[in-house]
Amino acid sequence: MSQNRVDEYRRKFVTALGGVAAAATVAPGFFLREAQAAGEVPTRSLDQAVTSEKRWGMLIDITKLTDGGAGMVEACKKEHGWDNNPLSRDDQKAHWARVVNVKDKLTGHSFSLPVMCQHCENPPCVDVCPTGASMKRADGIVQVNKHICIGCRYCMMACPYKARSFVHEPLTDQRSYSPRGMGTVESCNMCIHRIDEGRLPACVEAAPDAVIFGDLNDPNSAVSQALKAMGGKQIRADLNLNTGVRYHGI
Amino acid sequence: MTSKFSQVFLASVLALAALLAGCSKAPTEADLNLATAKQKAEECVEPENVIRTKHMDMLMHQRDATMIEGIRTKQHSLKECINCHVSATKQDGSPLHYGDKEHFCTTCHAAVGQKIDCFQCHADRPDVAQNQNYQHAVGSTEGHHFTQGVTEAAAPTTAEVQMVTQPQQGAAQ
Ligand code: HEC
Ligand code: HEC
Ligand code: HEC
Repeated sequence: MSQNRVDEYRRKFVTALGGVAAAATVAPGFFLREAQAAGEVPTRSLDQAVTSEKRWGMLIDITKLTDGGAGMVEACKKEHGWDNNPLSRDDQKAHWARVVNVKDKLTGHSFSLPVMCQHCENPPCVDVCPTGASMKRADGIVQVNKHICIGCRYCMMACPYKARSFVHEPLTDQRSYSPRGMGTVESCNMCIHRIDEGRLPACVEAAPDAVIFGDLNDPNSAVSQALKAMGGKQIRADLNLNTGVRYHGI
Repeated sequence: MTSKFSQVFLASVLALAALLAGCSKAPTEADLNLATAKQKAEECVEPENVIRTKHMDMLMHQRDATMIEGIRTKQHSLKECINCHVSATKQDGSPLHYGDKEHFCTTCHAAVGQKIDCFQCHADRPDVAQNQNYQHAVGSTEGHHFTQGVTEAAAPTTAEVQMVTQPQQGAAQ
């Protein structure tokens, strides 16, 4: 329903731009622009269990991220409040998402990208968890069920993306929608609380020009269309994890 | 040996009975600090005798349903208990936390010697700055109480609809 309104708005916006000389510059990025910030409001009623009918994912176009993803990371920090660990050493601090700088030593070519949980279809963190706390929800979201997490941190070791961190100190005044506490592992959960309400993840909202979020199982969703048109790479594709987070421009 | 066992057994039965008695004997309202909730609603999400004795089971059930299946009904949601029952600050304006004697969940747990770890992670008071509109009235459009199991998804608020339909900062550049 609101999807249509988004499209309507975009269309107006793109035609308006087209009238001016900007048409040529807009065209290459057309797909992304048309679909940007497209949230797909779930039709699911909240008393129904999620199903594997949908698989949530996103495409991040790093050529459109002028800050290398720092804005997305900030938005995440603000949403989940994971910046409150003054007692922890730097290498212990929470990092649900971080900016990774990559440089090719041979050519000197460098770029930055935001790296968070890649929401693998076959997540190694779930394989190794002794309690079942590290889990993949039916709709593809990988998260920690902290209620049964014993803090062993096997999942942190298993994750090829270094996406998980461990809470080393007591916390107070957490966000009501994002409980976090000492002794458990945590990571990006794609803003599961927002998705369930039909809202976009905080990082997607913070970079609407560069990220498309949606249902990877639906060939007509904005994100599937964009992936079809532009490709979209997985980090460490060699591991065959079939990640839900894809990148363009790396 | 046997007599020792029966002694211990008897002692624990007595202790349990005392505990149960403590529960069924209605503690006074002042003890429980029900004022905050009563400002917002007439009654609880379950009849009083049910919520008193079964809230732990309901919370545990809801916990798994939310984590594993993504079910987010409000009736047995921990976040909603806190939103309705706990005010963000004490009377002197300082933050109210679990463990303070005014905190609704503490009042009873202190009396019965119950320890819970929920608030090591969960917010023990409503986050007012984040979400000013948490104090919805029962029977409002969000009407989710007393409809056990058949709760409809809460309609998105105007602000939320806008968030999805309107361009965010940067979108129009
Ligand atoms: C919409 C507001 C609201 C919500 C949500 C709510 N309650 Fe209540 N609750 C009340 C009110 C009002 C009373 C007092 C009822 C009375 O005195 O008749 C009450 C009473 C109680 C009591 C009984 C206290 C006594 O008198 O012994 C308990 C226990 C309780 N609530 C626990 C919970 C728990 C646990 C949750 C979350 C699952 C919860 N409540 C959610 C409003 C609420
Ligand atoms: C180690 C951290 C941690 C502890 C301790 C913890 N929880 Fe949770 N809880 C979470 C997380 C994380 C979520 C998921 C929040 C989400 O997805 O919105 C959650 C969600 C829930 C939910 C569903 C959301 C809601 O508010 O209704 C319930 C109910 C719940 N927990 C109950 C409990 C109870 C009861 C306890 C104590 C016995 C407890 N939790 C202890 C981390 C914790
Ligand atoms: C009317 C008194 C009363 C109030 C008010 C109350 N509780 Fe309890 N609660 C108890 C009793 C008694 C037990 C222990 C039951 C038992 O041991 O079987 C308990 C146990 C629990 C447990 C289970 C702990 C475990 O490890 O099994 C949870 C969780 C819990 N309460 C949450 C809450 C929350 C959250 C609130 C505030 C919204 C609250 N309670 C308010 C009386 C109360």
